[in-house]
Amino acid sequence: MENRILKKRLAGCMLVMMLLMSVPAYAGAPMSAVESTVNRVLDVLRDPKMKGPAAKSLKTEKLRVIYKDMFDEMEFSRRTLTRNWNKFTPEQRREFVDLFEQVLEKTYLDRILEYSNEKIVFYKESMIADDKAEIQSRVITSSKEVPIYYRMILKNGKWKVYDVVVENVSLVQNYRTQFNEILAGGTPEQLLETLRKKVKTH
Amino acid sequence: MKHNLSVFLLTVLFFAAGSFPGCLVLNIACAEAPAMSDGQGVVGDGRWVMGNGKSMDYALAKAPSAGADATVRGEEALPGRADDAFQDEYKDDENQDYDDEPFAEERVTIADPIEPFNRAMHRFNDRLYFWLLKPVARGYKAVVPEPARISVKNFYYHLLFPIRFVNCLLQADLTGAGSEAGRFAINTVWGIGGLLDPSSNRGIELQKQNTDFGQTLGLYGVGHGFYIVWPFLGPSSPRDSVDIAGEYVLDPLSYFTPWYTSLGKRPFKMINNASLSLGDYEAVIEAAIDPYIAIRNGYIQYRMKEVQTRRARSLFFRNWKSEATRAPAN
Repeated sequence: MENRILKKRLAGCMLVMMLLMSVPAYAGAPMSAVESTVNRVLDVLRDPKMKGPAAKSLKTEKLRVIYKDMFDEMEFSRRTLTRNWNKFTPEQRREFVDLFEQVLEKTYLDRILEYSNEKIVFYKESMIADDKAEIQSRVITSSKEVPIYYRMILKNGKWKVYDVVVENVSLVQNYRTQFNEILAGGTPEQLLETLRKKVKTH
Repeated sequence: MKHNLSVFLLTVLFFAAGSFPGCLVLNIACAEAPAMSDGQGVVGDGRWVMGNGKSMDYALAKAPSAGADATVRGEEALPGRADDAFQDEYKDDENQDYDDEPFAEERVTIADPIEPFNRAMHRFNDRLYFWLLKPVARGYKAVVPEPARISVKNFYYHLLFPIRFVNCLLQADLTGAGSEAGRFAINTVWGIGGLLDPSSNRGIELQKQNTDFGQTLGLYGVGHGFYIVWPFLGPSSPRDSVDIAGEYVLDPLSYFTPWYTSLGKRPFKMINNASLSLGDYEAVIEAAIDPYIAIRNGYIQYRMKEVQTRRARSLFFRNWKSEATRAPAN
């Protein structure tokens, strides 16, 4: 008899859990877009079948697919170059977008691959315009909390990230200042050369 | 009853499996296989195609046919992206669009009249980190377990309570001051003199108030002045440097012990904190095209946001906008 009540309770608990788990679905489209991508990344990182250095390149390949789907690298590049974009020929632009992406990939992929069960909480979505939103999240490690905000834009019915704000520092703004300074005294070719070197040395 | 439960569980598992990474593994493996066999250039090509958010089936169909001519990534293999995006000129009237309009107020710049000196100091600090701090912190990390290092960090943080408390008051943030006082009392008694941080636990949840004198002055409308990189201490400005003095005056240890012990204390604090954040600085440097400018801009953005956040909490300064925070002409 007691056993039966216990089971009923268990079933009840599970039902409540199911309801709770479905709550994120009520959050807006941008939030669920970024959250599901991050979860896909975590799934790859936690996959017990892919431990050890041998699986690293496989992981990298998988993560690349995921984040290319997540980021709008064209928007990111244009926003960092702003007016300087016009100083580039279409070929140079293509190369810039490609190189810039590789620089980012190299740095952040290594960091992401070091991941060891930090907790990630998504807690706020603010719609800034009809096609722009900011998603706030927090990465909780044993010794600190790092706030990470994703700024997203709606393009062709898809929410994509165009800026990441880590500890209140916007990446787009940060790169914009750097490119501005470099291009104020140099040519696009020189910037591309710097990027080429950077990609090669890593 | 038992049967029902297991059916229920199975259903849950079934739905969960839909989002399981295993499915993804399979998809990618399918898409990758033909590309691999065709050699280097095609791998790059296949990768690019998938990256455009096109379906995996597309990559599968495209990869073998792309053949050897696609040694350069791109051109005709860019279906997902409108190729004219590269042709599109950046128009000045779309400036608004790329001005991060909703976030425009956050854009900040800082004067840097002593850039040569700053760059030299930046190089000095950089070498200090890579040649001295990092190796020492690594050795220390290998010997001392993480919980102990976190306790040491907590302890140093705890000691600087007077600075945070006084600045909460100066910023007219009474809740913040109360929170800090509560944290100090609880962490002193139950946190064994600040080694542990029970105030941050669930149930108490007293938030840390990271306040300092530079922030308070910023709240009052004092600008940074100019950028300055101190040896050992890193990025700062004349305004934010007030904290170097403030830390000495309000640090309890500086009263109980002779002045030179604080010289010994600081490196240890630096090593301990570095051991908990190894890799952070490297990531910043690696991601940067010009690390000096990247750090300068990062520092300014970070401080700006802090002042804004503190201002929003203040009783007096909430609705008051200083010259410094109005969108500057950049």
